[in-house]
This record gives sequence, structure tokens and C-alpha cells, in this order.
Amino acid sequence: MLDTEALHETPEGIALGLRAAGAAPRALAWLVDAMIRMGVFTALAMPISMLGEAGQGVLLILMFALMWIYPILFELLMDGQTPGKRVLGLRVVHANGTPVGFTASLIRNLMRTVDALPIGYAFGFASCVVDPQARRLGDLVAGTLVVHADRRRHDETIPAVPGYVPALSLPSEEQAVVVAFAERAAQLTEARQIELAGLLPALTQTRGAQAVQRLLGYANHIIGR
Amino acid sequence: MRQDRFIARHDADWIALATWLDQADRRKRDAGADSGLHDSDVPQRYRRLCQQLALARRRGYSPMLIERLAQLVERTHTLMYRPPNPRWWRAVAFIASEFPAEVRAQRGWMLASGLLFFLPFFAMIAAVLWQPEIAHSVFDIDQLAQMEQMYDPSNDDRLGRDSGTDLMMFGHYIMNNISIGFRSFASGLLVGLGSVVVLVSNGVMIGTVAGHLTGIGYGAPFWRFVVGHSAPELLAIVISGGAGMRLGFALIAPGQLSRVAALIAAGRIGARLILGVFVMLLAAAFIEAFWSSIASLPDVVKYGSGAAIWLVVLGWLGFGGRGRVHAS
Repeated sequence: MLDTEALHETPEGIALGLRAAGAAPRALAWLVDAMIRMGVFTALAMPISMLGEAGQGVLLILMFALMWIYPILFELLMDGQTPGKRVLGLRVVHANGTPVGFTASLIRNLMRTVDALPIGYAFGFASCVVDPQARRLGDLVAGTLVVHADRRRHDETIPAVPGYVPALSLPSEEQAVVVAFAERAAQLTEARQIELAGLLPALTQTRGAQAVQRLLGYANHIIGR
Repeated sequence: MRQDRFIARHDADWIALATWLDQADRRKRDAGADSGLHDSDVPQRYRRLCQQLALARRRGYSPMLIERLAQLVERTHTLMYRPPNPRWWRAVAFIASEFPAEVRAQRGWMLASGLLFFLPFFAMIAAVLWQPEIAHSVFDIDQLAQMEQMYDPSNDDRLGRDSGTDLMMFGHYIMNNISIGFRSFASGLLVGLGSVVVLVSNGVMIGTVAGHLTGIGYGAPFWRFVVGHSAPELLAIVISGGAGMRLGFALIAPGQLSRVAALIAAGRIGARLILGVFVMLLAAAFIEAFWSSIASLPDVVKYGSGAAIWLVVLGWLGFGGRGRVHAS
């Protein structure tokens, strides 16, 4: 289990694993957002400034919106993802894993004022590094955290080979390791499969490609094929 | 039970739930395959899934299967326990009654914050009128000259500015004043000191300007300009400073709660207050840009409207939402 995984127990008694995102991907997401905001501002600055002094007023309002409203608006509309966070596969969630709501989003984004102190998000970075769930100060006050939102694939199946019953019988945790090996075999090169299977000569009673086949066969036996 | 039999028995349920979730994600019930699930069946299916995940973990089934079930649980949990969407029609009720009630509930902090702002303000007015050179220890000579130019009585065209249209100044006030309001709340997280600094320094600066301009005989254009928007603007700064000090105090003295829990509680109060502050500063910026700057109105209208706005704002904060049950 990853040490950045925060467990939240649901009312149904199930532990949800929230994979907290560290400082580096969050800083990158911030950078992407900063570039989008600067792009929008420069793209609109030219036509609006043609309006003269009134245009300057509109530009200042636009700057205010990009500075304070942009993150809150996108976190609300896109289930806790600003465009930068979507690019990096991050999501802001409450401590119970649900997407961030209005109050929490407002607080965590206002608190950027303090996280950005004294220069370049130094306080936020320090808090991010110290906190086990990599929360910045705004996240602590709002009761939120930033997690990796991308879903891991789980469509690998165990290759069907004739069952094999080894002389040795393993406890259930070790059986789970054999099944995990069989599920991931398709992702490994043949040489790596042979290398890994070669670590268990007592179990397979053989070496090389046949040891791989016997481990796969044992996995088939364990899951009951 | 062996893993393969377990999967064979429940796989159809899991696929149905996953299909239902896909449809819910797209918010279009007609698109894609039909899950055969009624919305009202989902909570029961979800609880059953939770039990199946617990069984799978207990029996040591393969990590891939557990992962698959855990992701299904996570997706359903996210959907079932998500916060309700904000209801925008509630904004009016919030501003009319809940916000003033929250301000009154925090009256101790508001009083402290008000003293931290208005004591330096009046003290500096008195000090500068008594010893005019004190103004030079707060501002340098260029800044004073710029302010004198802004409120020069011979400049009878526009009040309170060198140049610029109403709309430009509106943008300027929004960017500057609302940012200051937000920062004076957020900087309270620095054990309250940030808010105290913002309050006292603003009190000192505004008081010095008022004293200086009154002292050199530019008082009339200055007071005519500020009287209209002073109520929402100054009280908004006081409220956001008070909310910031409340936040800092939660860090110093969390009471029966853990520090983080106390911060979260104070943060929720602060968020409600800062929403009202935002509306007040928006109104202040509007008055300041489009009303306060009109120079041609007689004193009666200027000071009369200023007094009326003070009465309205104080009445709203003092009586808004009285006699109603607190919504939160």
C-alpha cells in the first residue's frame, strides 16, 4: 500500500483509498492553469483595450475574475477539476472522497493568499511536504485534499492453462501473490516472467519457461478453474 | 467459495451497476446500453456490493478483483454522498437574513475588529489636525501631493480621481478593494496577525489622509466623495478582518476540538462572512465609481444620501434575519 494513500471509512464500513497527489503534479497543474489564464488575458487584452479607458476598467474586472473566480468556478463545474488539474489527472475532493463543494472550494482558493507567502507558494509547499496527505494550508482549513483521479485498469485476466497442484501448500496471502503474478503476466516480458518464476524453485520444481507455466497453472487452480 | 465461482455468481450485478454509473456520468439515460437498474435499486445494490468487497478482501481474492470492486464502490460512493448542487435562488435569502445573523453571532470579533480599525482611524485624524507634520511620517511627499491633486477644490469636474472614466474606476475598485477584503480574511490564518495588520494599517492610512486633507482645507471635496460608499466599504473591511481574527484564534485556542477541526469550523464561518463582504464591496465599488464621483450635486444630497446608506447598512446588519430560525 502506498504511504500517500488516505483511508476513509464509508458508512457501509468499507475503507476507501484516496491517493493523495504530491507537490510536483500539483505545481504542474497550477502552471498549466497559470498559462491558460495568461493566454486568455493576453488574447482579450488587445481588443478590449481598444475601448480606451473604459476598456481598462473591463480588463481589471477580467483580471479579478481570472485571479479569484476562475479556480472556484471550474472546481464547481467540473467536479473538482480546473483545466490544469484535468490535464494532470488530479481532482479536489472532500475528506470523504466526494467532489469539492462551494464552501470548501471558496475557502481553499481564498487561502491561496497565505499559501503563496512569503514568495512562490513557499508556505503551501512546506505544508504539502510535511502533511501525510500533501495538503496545503488552504486544504487544511477547507477540509479537502487533492487526489489522483485517473482510474487504474483492471481488465487483465489470468491466462487459462491446465491446472497444476504443487506439493507445497501455501498460506492464503502467498496464494494471492501467485494470483497477482498471473494477472500481471501479460504486462511482463517473457524474460522477466522467467526471472520471477525462477525465484520459486521449491514451488515449481523446475526452471525456465515451464516454471512460468506451472505458476500460471497453480493460479488457475487457486481461483478454482 | 473459489474466486471464479464468486465472479460467475455476481458478475452480472457488477456489470449492471457499472453501466448504470456510466449513464449517470453522461447524465443521459437514453444513451448507451440499458443497465436494467432502477435508480431506486441502486442504494441496495451498493450496500450489497460493499458486502461483496468486504468478503473478497477477507477471503484473499486476487488484487485485480478487489481493485475492480473497490473502484465500483468508490464511484457509487462519490455519486451517493456528493454535496448538493448550490441553489442560486438561496443567494438572496442568504444576503438578506443569514449573513447579517452570522455577523451578529460573531459580534465579539466584529467589535474587536471595529476597534482595531476605527481607533487608529480617529486617532490619526485628531493627531494630524493637531500636528500636521505627522502626515509625513506615514506618507512620503509625492504620495501626499498626489492625494492633494485628487481632492483639489479647484478641480470641480470629478471628485476623488485625477482622470479616468467611471467604468475604469469601477474595475479598479473591484480589483483592489475586493482583493484587500479577501486578503484581510485569509491572512488571519497567520495566528490572526495578518488581519490585525491589515485593519490597523488601513485605519492609520485612511485616518491620515482624512486628517491631512481636512487640515489643509481640502476637506469639502474629500468628505463629499467618501461619504456615499464609506458605510459598505469600511464595514466590509471590518467584517472580513473579524472573520480572519476568528480563524487565527481557532489556531491558537482550538478548545475541545483538534486544531484542524477548529480551523475547518472557523473556515466555514469565515466563508459565509466573506460572501457577504464580497457583495458589500461590490456595492461599495458601484457607489464609489458611479455616484460618489459626481461633483455637481449639492451638499444636502451628498451627505443626506451618505447618512441614508449608513442607516440602511447598519439596519440590515443589525436587524436582517431577526426572528428566523438559523438555517445552518
